[in-house]
Amino acid sequence: MTGKDVIVVKDLWKSFRLPHEKKNTLFEHLTGSFYGKQKYEEFIALKNINFTVKKGEAVGIIGENGSGKSTLLKIIANILRPSRGSIKIYGKITPFLELGVGFQPDLTAKENIYIYGAIMGLSDKEIDNKFGEILEFSGLKQFQDAKLKNLSSGMQVRLAFATAVQTDPQILLMDEVLAVGDMGFQQKCLNVFQQYLKERKTIVFVSHDLNSVRRFCSKALLLRRGEQVAFGDTNEIIDKYVYGTGDKERHAGNLESEPKIEGQKGDVQRKKTRWGDKKVEIINVKFIDKFNKENTIFNSGDPMTVQINYNVNVPLDNLVIGIAIYSDSDVMCYGTNTDIQEFATNGAIGNNEIKLHIHNLIMTEGKFHLTVAAHSKEHTPYDWLDKQFTFNVIRNGNNAGLFEIPCGWKQ
Amino acid sequence: MKELWNYRHLAFKLAMSEFRLRYKNSILGFFWSLLEPLLMLLVLYVVFTNLMRVNVKHYQLFLLMGIISWNMLSRGTSMSLNSILGKPSLVKKVYFPREVLVISSCATALLMTLLEFIVFGIFMLIFNVKPAITIMYFPLVLFIEFLLILGLAFGLAALNVYYRDIQYIWAVILQAGFFAAPIIYPMSIVPEKYVWIIMLNPMTRIIDMLRGSVIYSTSPLFWDGIFILAIALVVLSVGYLIFRRLEPGFAEEM
Repeated sequence: MTGKDVIVVKDLWKSFRLPHEKKNTLFEHLTGSFYGKQKYEEFIALKNINFTVKKGEAVGIIGENGSGKSTLLKIIANILRPSRGSIKIYGKITPFLELGVGFQPDLTAKENIYIYGAIMGLSDKEIDNKFGEILEFSGLKQFQDAKLKNLSSGMQVRLAFATAVQTDPQILLMDEVLAVGDMGFQQKCLNVFQQYLKERKTIVFVSHDLNSVRRFCSKALLLRRGEQVAFGDTNEIIDKYVYGTGDKERHAGNLESEPKIEGQKGDVQRKKTRWGDKKVEIINVKFIDKFNKENTIFNSGDPMTVQINYNVNVPLDNLVIGIAIYSDSDVMCYGTNTDIQEFATNGAIGNNEIKLHIHNLIMTEGKFHLTVAAHSKEHTPYDWLDKQFTFNVIRNGNNAGLFEIPCGWKQ
Repeated sequence: MKELWNYRHLAFKLAMSEFRLRYKNSILGFFWSLLEPLLMLLVLYVVFTNLMRVNVKHYQLFLLMGIISWNMLSRGTSMSLNSILGKPSLVKKVYFPREVLVISSCATALLMTLLEFIVFGIFMLIFNVKPAITIMYFPLVLFIEFLLILGLAFGLAALNVYYRDIQYIWAVILQAGFFAAPIIYPMSIVPEKYVWIIMLNPMTRIIDMLRGSVIYSTSPLFWDGIFILAIALVVLSVGYLIFRRLEPGFAEEM
């Protein structure tokens, strides 16, 4: 049943005091008081966070590094306390912030299962009942009497996870713990996770992996520098994260990483990156996202427009504008130009603009480099900017490989 | 409080595992930990019976009881001092009532002390001292001592997170306390004008009652019992209040 509120966060603020000089001893505090007040900076990690998680919902918390995701998760887990505002939890919380907390390397795997189980809130009886299952799941049956320190780190993580998932949580908090273990174990974890989803457990999930958030979470919370940007439907929120709609600050940040026409002067390899006789000069190249904003990050499957501004110095009637897309490993993925597509360009003197609309970025993910060139029909370069512009494509699906090929199964 | 009760078996688990870890990698196991008080007993015994000529009946047992019950306090509080600070991953990565950590440290100390009391029983057999019915007060007094230790432990463990030199200050206080309690000497040799100082130390009465009930077959005085119980409860409340007050900041301060 959905509908009941299980996590209610209201006007939540969290600030940390960052003293200029950390005082840890009584002596320092006593002597410090003679020299007046201790100086510290107030760092506000979370500002005015408001959201409600209902029973059975899976909520992803996304945001850049340092945006306060983990702090928020720790507050939900009751490890940190809010500075202002309130948080109400209805149900038993099981935090998976780190696996294997409290493991004692000198005790055996078996003893550690009992200790770790107790830390995660299991009673001895429950562990007794599930002991076989835990060993089965972790695949460590023959090592149960080995000292923990003699197990590999991967085995330890498996043991921890196998124990932790036995807790039968009502509310599960996860901080990117799925990213451990080998492929087989990861698959097991995903299965457990999906089982939880099926059982309609409430899950709060912090991740940088937008794809898994999209896959598992029905709702998402976007944080940026401690502020709540948006909370709602996952796909909308991820769009907001990727394209940063309606946020000027983010664009200001992006300007620094904007491709520079001059090319990288400090490049040691000193590859020739720009050439041509300058009859035409390319002034600016921009990537435009589906919200008509300049951007360099795109979801796979979304449209992208390449806007090229150029200046014609000598009137030309055979001007061809072309682009080529290279993968990060320098494989040319695609190239086209106005001549191939029989598009008549404007070769009159002065500033001109031309746009290439890509309906659908079919690459699955990765970093791509764009070459933009102006040349004659006979391929005499006027201005050639080789791999000067970079954009990123973010995964949006689970298909493997380089490109999404539109397809469907039939039987 | 109810939450704490739900985690009682975690406290027990942690105490047991710490107890076992202590002796895990040594052949003689817990006998090593007995060696220390026994050696101390031997030295003090030789010094005080031959050189200082203290005249106390069953001085060996008198001394051993003093050392064991004092060790319980000094061990319990010193181990608890680091019970929060020494387990950053438990404090910063999972949630359970933090009291569990302090309680389990005190419980470990209690377990070790109980082992020492078994040895004490053997000594009583050797010296042919038979306890009377008054021994029924022994667990009661020991329980009051445990409450006192718990109170000190809560306060010290919490303060130590914020002020790291508490542990050094406490070591000095313990050292002083050892001599300001009638552990190696009887009250009878203390000059009249200093008696009040010694009596201020709650351990004076506790040790006295433990000795009386086990070795000398005397019942504790009623008001002495009330006095130490009151002190233990006050210390426990103050210590716990300090702990509750500082507890929300543990994860940030570490």
